[in-house]
Amino acid sequence: MSATDIGLDLQHVSKDLGGRTIVDDLQLDVRTGELTCLLGPSGCGKTTTLRMIGGFLVPDRGRVLISGQDVTTLSPDKRPTAMVFQNYALWPHMTVFKNVAFGLRLRKLPKAEVKERVEGVLDLVGLTHHVHSYPARISGGEQQRVALARALVLEPKVLLLDEPLSNLDAKLRVRVREDIREIQQRIGITTVFVTHDQDEALSISDRIAVMSGGKVEQYADARSLYREPATTFVAGFVGTMNTYEATVVPGGVALAGDLVVPCGDLSATGDGVWEVGVRPEDVRVSLDDAGAAADVLREVPRGHYKELVLRAGPHELRAFVGSDLPPADRVSISFARALLYRDGVLHRSATPVPAHS
Amino acid sequence: MVLPPVAVIAVFIGFPVVAAIAYTLGRAGGPNSVVASLGQRQFIVQKGVTFDAYRDILSNPTIHRDLWATVWVTIVVTLVVVAVSWAIALYLRLTDSWLARTISALSVVPLFIPVVIASYAILVFYASDGFIKTVAYHLGFHGFPTLGYTLTCVTLGEIWVNIPFGVLMMSSGLNGVPNNLIEAARDSGATMPRVVRSILLPMNVIPTVIVATFTAIYVLGSFTVPYLTGPTAPNLLGPSMANFFNSFNQPQQAEVLAIVVFVLALGIGAVYVWANVRTGRRSGLQS
Amino acid sequence: MGKRAHGQTLGVAVMSAIESEGVVLGGLPEAQLPAAPLRPRRAVVRGAAHRIAGVVFIVCLLVFMIGPIAWLALRAFSGLWQYPQLYPKDWTLSGWRQVFNDPNLRHSMRLSFEFAPIVTAASTVICLPAAYAFSRYRFPGRRFLLISLFATNAFPKIGLYISMAGVFYSLNLMGTFLGVVIVQLIGTVVFMTWIPAAAFSAIPRSLEEAARDVGAGPLRVFFRVTFPLAAPAILVAMILSFLASFDEAQGTFLVGVPNYITMPTEMYTLVLNYPEQVAAVFSILLAIPSVVLMAFARKHVMGGRLAEGFQLR
Ligand SMILES: Nc1ncnc2c1ncn2[C@@H]1O[C@H](COP(=O)(O)OP(=O)(O)OP(=O)(O)O)[C@@H](O)[C@H]1O
Ligand SMILES: [Mg+2]
Repeated sequence: MSATDIGLDLQHVSKDLGGRTIVDDLQLDVRTGELTCLLGPSGCGKTTTLRMIGGFLVPDRGRVLISGQDVTTLSPDKRPTAMVFQNYALWPHMTVFKNVAFGLRLRKLPKAEVKERVEGVLDLVGLTHHVHSYPARISGGEQQRVALARALVLEPKVLLLDEPLSNLDAKLRVRVREDIREIQQRIGITTVFVTHDQDEALSISDRIAVMSGGKVEQYADARSLYREPATTFVAGFVGTMNTYEATVVPGGVALAGDLVVPCGDLSATGDGVWEVGVRPEDVRVSLDDAGAAADVLREVPRGHYKELVLRAGPHELRAFVGSDLPPADRVSISFARALLYRDGVLHRSATPVPAHS
Repeated sequence: MVLPPVAVIAVFIGFPVVAAIAYTLGRAGGPNSVVASLGQRQFIVQKGVTFDAYRDILSNPTIHRDLWATVWVTIVVTLVVVAVSWAIALYLRLTDSWLARTISALSVVPLFIPVVIASYAILVFYASDGFIKTVAYHLGFHGFPTLGYTLTCVTLGEIWVNIPFGVLMMSSGLNGVPNNLIEAARDSGATMPRVVRSILLPMNVIPTVIVATFTAIYVLGSFTVPYLTGPTAPNLLGPSMANFFNSFNQPQQAEVLAIVVFVLALGIGAVYVWANVRTGRRSGLQS
Repeated sequence: MGKRAHGQTLGVAVMSAIESEGVVLGGLPEAQLPAAPLRPRRAVVRGAAHRIAGVVFIVCLLVFMIGPIAWLALRAFSGLWQYPQLYPKDWTLSGWRQVFNDPNLRHSMRLSFEFAPIVTAASTVICLPAAYAFSRYRFPGRRFLLISLFATNAFPKIGLYISMAGVFYSLNLMGTFLGVVIVQLIGTVVFMTWIPAAAFSAIPRSLEEAARDVGAGPLRVFFRVTFPLAAPAILVAMILSFLASFDEAQGTFLVGVPNYITMPTEMYTLVLNYPEQVAAVFSILLAIPSVVLMAFARKHVMGGRLAEGFQLR
């Protein structure tokens, strides 16, 4: 990967606010044309990071590079970034057209060209019918598109979006996020998208940076993030994960209370107590007694599958099974795949280790 | 529920205003009878109306000079108050430091000082043996003009009295502009001056209009500041009204001047009402 | 979009446009967002120039705003003080003695402190219900009344008092306590209605409805929910009312003479007939309640309570 392939590079960036370190030695690189999500719980420093990229905050330590050029101390008006704000920040005294045209006017472009480009970008976001409306007169979803158009019209190198969908209803969120993704891919713009909604992150990004306490816990594509969460924090934050303290025994894992559960693949192997994580869909449930015995506490229909809440010995666990599994009070469980963590960090052998070796 | 204050206003302001208008038009009956029975140089008719009182006073050259003085002082004070309060409010909006807090504290002080005292203090401050002259003397300007008892002093006094309202109004307006609207403009490439011109200025029109109209109306009708700090003549119309009433015993002429000021003030007030109605119509503005 | 190339050349044009635009804000130091990035050296030099301009501006402001009051306060304690000395030759409290030993002045002080609270209370009782009605009910003529209220503010006070004298004569209010209260009250009605009305409007209806919902009657809702929420604004209005009444001179003079001469009315005589030092002392005394109230209410006044009241809605 050559340097120019990296559209945005955050190098050891830190920011202290109100006496606390909010962003702590953060490393992040976004390839040109890539969409990266910053995902994390409230207060973990996502907005702060984004504002440092946009130039609204200056990092206390570290550098921000855009296309290899150091922009760490440039003010927002001088950097090639454009931000879509959470509540859109449309100027209420300007029409949609004027909102979008504002940045171009500042650049003293000829009138005709301003018009052409504004109309072009409004067409891109599908808003040609509201050109001369005031922001207060159009719907939330449309305001969102205006904000996007206003950012895109400047043809920035990096597009920044801070929870751009949080003011929309559930249905609209799904539609607009797909639109954003589609437009982003069409014009191939480097994008950083902040959200605390994992669904959103998993469905539109090329890569996701999961943040916690001002640090990046894991930076990977949606699949590996889900399949192999690098830390127990990521494991718990993205999707559901059953976690137990356990030791590795031949053929499976031994949980507290002498409960031995047969297991297919293990991420690593070794002596001592591990923290073991199992995705609900990796819990195999059958009506024979091939595995460990478990009581069914609850059955939650989820449409094409169902979720079982089970109790095995002192442990509770969740399993996703096909809707065709007949109801039962007592079942037998085994794990198809388990992840082994020590000190909160995933241990992984180069190849998955079959437990029955 | 609206009745009590409306009744108070109607009986003690509305009715007298109507009576005053009738009086200036030559009708001396009803509530005007007491005043009319004592006044001199009145133009009274039994039926219909007469504009003789207006003719009398508006042909008076002293009044001409007073009228011009009033208009000029009003314009200057309004412009300065709007400009200074904009500058202060803008500074307060964009910075948060002990300096900004000090300025904001300083600028509201006059709100809490009775006007009589303020006028007196200002007179003494700019008087022939006041602070300004003293400091100018020590700086080597021995011939520095005395500002006490001049229209300049009146202007300075009126500015002093009106600054707090201006700053409070403008600050409140500017604080109503969310930060992210400013940031969005910065992001689009606007420098701070440009943000002020394109975002803050247009979004703060109403407070500006309010400050301008209230200041202008206040100055037009003011009495205390010009009376205590101004020259004998030409001075603002407020003191001349009092003069006509107290010194010349010509209540009708005093009322004519009051009506003249009232008409001017209403003209300015119309701008205020129009600006409010206009935004009222555009209301539903987003946050 | 296919216009990327254009976007790049654009960048250069923008930079130079921004450079040439400069940063001047009415002589103030360059306004900054809380965390403005570092600027190149040229801008730093320019920033220093602005900083100096800023300091000059602030010193001027300080002298202009506080100077007269401070100078007057100095006078209240000064003995012999000849121009062009920067400070008095000797200090004395004789002005204070003179004020406190003068029965007229003492009486006027007492009167002022009697009228102001009474007027404030009366104004509150009369205007608060109206403020509530203006904010909560869209009755016919509402806007007309609001505007008329404003118009009454535009009629010059002197003219009004002259004409009002006629009404007062016929109602036998001349020279009476009630007459003075009314004349002072009139100056307070406008903001005693406007400022609380804006505060009531700012309280979401749902808060009142929720209280109704759990079984509170309308009066209880007003006193337990609406009133406490609007209290800061009402307080501001009351303080302004107090000061307006405390400050009122011409109307009081016209109606109250010769029985009721309050401090500000006395002040006019003082300025003309007494030694400068006595007037200065009297001014300081007259300013005390205001300063006390200011310390007390500054936060709310600054918080925009006052400003909100002036938007017609
Ligand atoms: N100016 C500031 N001064 C002090 N602390 C601040 C400041 N700005 C942010 N913080 C703190 O920094 C932390 C991170 O804030 P940030 O807005 O980056 O979180 P976030 O990840 O965007 O959260 P959310 O999902 O709730 O938007 C928060 O605890 C916040 O209180
Ligand atoms: Mg955030």
